[in-house]
Amino acid sequence: MTFEQAQRELEEIVQRLESGETPLNEALKLWERGEELYRFCKERLDAAEGKIEELASRAESASPDT
Amino acid sequence: MKVEAIEYGDRKVYSVGAFNRGVSSWLARLPTVWVEGEVTELRRSARWASVFFTLKDPQDGSCLGVSMARGQFDALRLELADGARVHVYGRPELYEARGEFRLRALSLERFGLGDHLAALERLKTKLAGEGLFAAERKRSLPLLPARIGLVTGNDAAAKRDVLTAITTRFPPANVLVAETYVQGPRAAGAVVDALRALCREGVDVVVVARGGGSFEDLLPFSDERLVRAVADCPVPVVSAVGHEQDTPLCDLAADVRASTPSVAGRLVVPDLAQLLERLGRARGGLERGTRRGLERERRRIDGAHERLGRAPRLLVERGRAKLEHSAGRLRALSPKATLERGYAIVRAEESIVRSGKALEPGERVEVELADGGFGARVEEIQ
Repeated sequence: MTFEQAQRELEEIVQRLESGETPLNEALKLWERGEELYRFCKERLDAAEGKIEELASRAESASPDT
Repeated sequence: MKVEAIEYGDRKVYSVGAFNRGVSSWLARLPTVWVEGEVTELRRSARWASVFFTLKDPQDGSCLGVSMARGQFDALRLELADGARVHVYGRPELYEARGEFRLRALSLERFGLGDHLAALERLKTKLAGEGLFAAERKRSLPLLPARIGLVTGNDAAAKRDVLTAITTRFPPANVLVAETYVQGPRAAGAVVDALRALCREGVDVVVVARGGGSFEDLLPFSDERLVRAVADCPVPVVSAVGHEQDTPLCDLAADVRASTPSVAGRLVVPDLAQLLERLGRARGGLERGTRRGLERERRRIDGAHERLGRAPRLLVERGRAKLEHSAGRLRALSPKATLERGYAIVRAEESIVRSGKALEPGERVEVELADGGFGARVEEIQ
């Protein structure tokens, strides 16, 4: 699942819940799924480290023999 | 010219001069041709009969020495700068005194802007014919790239612009930068190598950024190899080369074209603040929506429960009302009520007397009142 897919599904779930048309047991399932998607998206954002690397120095450290 | 060899036993040996003369006369038989290349290392002196320069192949860097009669060269008034593209009309020649091979120029033309444009136009038509620029080939950029590749020159401006735009919008971005030549004969090949190297390292999207420059500076970005490499790149490419009006062919082959390096930077990452806000809103909606659903269910159940409690009492009351209604109707129909208002019922021989003519004087009748009754005899008929 990509970030986009997760985000899109999360927003669809919110829309369905807010429309108030969903039966209760289904709403609870949707809510659980929504929380899961939210955590997934949040983790993806938190996981990024924010680094800027130069390819040349990477190549050197990656292959010390050459 | 005859070339004499000295014989040492069975070995024929040439003097250097003889060898050079021999090669020279052989070279002289080759045809006169046009050669295209870039002028470098132009050397001209009033003391020399010829001017000299090196003609360089912009594709692979091959070099060729060229000489031309100084008077002829000056008469052309070409004012050639290093890197100028020219067409040289000449034939191969050996400078015998030094054994140096070179091209003796008989004529020289600047390969002008018009020629470049025509060549570019031909290449553009050819690549467009292959579908390299087709809209359906364009891929959309990932919303949240795990790592971004950046191909740029080591001139600070374009690189800094892209990186600033990226990290301002999305501070946790990971960027892998490949610095390469972005102008001159080695640029096209170097950019192609950089693109491939970045893809090998694993990036989700590549930005190719180069600031503005002269038409000739930007020519490598219309090089066929580079354009094809951009089109074939396994991940989407954003091209930000030169200024808006330049449109090098790599811009057309890229998946997205950005007008400046800053714009390219903004295109490849989401706005983190906006993203977090949107996520937060979605989560809020999730809770709100679920709670609203629960409350609606509770209200529905409470309502049903209340109606359930009211139901038996209602039934009894409805029954009583119905009963009383029936009783009233029953009473209204009974003669008892009429008798209570002072009327009497007269019977003769068990049947109710409704007319005086049905009776005889002296006949016995029974009279019924609201309360009890009595027997009587008819006195007279009226």
